[in-house]
Amino acid sequence: MILYLPQGFYPLLNKSFEEDEKLNDEIKIIERKKEIPKGAVMIFGFPDVGLVGVIAASHLISELGLDEVAYIESQLLPPITVLHEGLPHSPIRIFGNHNILLAVSETALPGELIYPIMHALIDWARSKEVKMMISISGIPVQDRQDLEELKVFAAASNPEMLKMAQDKGVEILREGYMVGPQAVMLQYCATLGLPALTLLAQCFLQYPDPEAAAKVLEHLASFTGVKVDVSKLLEKGEEIRLKARDLMKRTQQELAKMRKTQEYDIPLYIT
Amino acid sequence: MSEEESFRRRRSIFDLIDEYFESLEAWAERVRETFFERPSWNCRTCTIEPLRDIMVTSDEVIVTVDLPYAEQNTIQVKQVSKDTIEISAKMRRKVSFDDFGITHHRGEFQRFHCRTKIPVPVYMDRMEIRFKRGILEIRLPRKHEYEIPIE
Repeated sequence: MILYLPQGFYPLLNKSFEEDEKLNDEIKIIERKKEIPKGAVMIFGFPDVGLVGVIAASHLISELGLDEVAYIESQLLPPITVLHEGLPHSPIRIFGNHNILLAVSETALPGELIYPIMHALIDWARSKEVKMMISISGIPVQDRQDLEELKVFAAASNPEMLKMAQDKGVEILREGYMVGPQAVMLQYCATLGLPALTLLAQCFLQYPDPEAAAKVLEHLASFTGVKVDVSKLLEKGEEIRLKARDLMKRTQQELAKMRKTQEYDIPLYIT
Repeated sequence: MSEEESFRRRRSIFDLIDEYFESLEAWAERVRETFFERPSWNCRTCTIEPLRDIMVTSDEVIVTVDLPYAEQNTIQVKQVSKDTIEISAKMRRKVSFDDFGITHHRGEFQRFHCRTKIPVPVYMDRMEIRFKRGILEIRLPRKHEYEIPIE
């Protein structure tokens, strides 16, 4: 049934169509520094279970003194800006030095934006000829309180990276589901043929976990070649748990929408 | 002119109505979510609301609460009504907004306080409490009122 109405008949509806067509659905990465080193290792630390990625990333930034090299700007993101010393910054930023590039988000990523953001970041990293991409996150365990030693697991985008991870003493996640930005990263890097790795430390599902972040940083050192002192992270553990409370609450809401609990599921074995 | 016609043909009135109702539902969902949102700190009573989690298993309900900086001997778990418990604890040191670098709010906090509703009937008087590594774990055995026999 075709309904033809004159242009001005439904002014509001027509206006929303025009605005939709003009909506900018791009993710732009705006570089702050003129020269960004090539051949670096790109690390992703996004809010996820236990906030392992974000806590590890912010510790790396303060220990290694990384500078902001780029940030993400997009109208798809909610209207949030982070204020540091009175000046606005994008919530998703990329820090770096001559051999590490680190992408961090200070706000929980909405589920529907993970694909565009990860694709934009990986395409940008490819243009900077990064030699490896590593995503830091956590794997939730129910009896985390009783665990004394935390294990770190890995998944990779090609068999060579898997072998490298095994040689460095990290156990491989053989079968299972992965939900979130690290899942999209692995999939996209596997499609493009880029070496990528996900490091997952055992952590709490619902609470920020600085000990898991310390554990994953210890293993990360063997991949990046840059050793980081994690003693301060463990000392300030309680302070970090207090500060990270609100971010954890927002992340929990986004994880629930993404159906993060599918990671607990046992997969039907289809090879 | 032909472009405009084909544009309107793509969106018939039924699609318009469907889209309108979908966006209305999404908006109602968002409003419902924000209705219950409140900041997690309360300046008047100097308390912070801690993160918590409830797990219901077949015999018990496990409530975990994340209490960094809490002093173990000041943790109190009280039963407020037959399905609500209230948890409060004192912190080892006072935390103020200045510690986080925030200067536009003023306030100091020294207590944790939160209230949780237990979704299933439990025996409140048989509660077991464990505090390990800054996480408080409360176990409450479930009350099975009656069992339905399988024929």
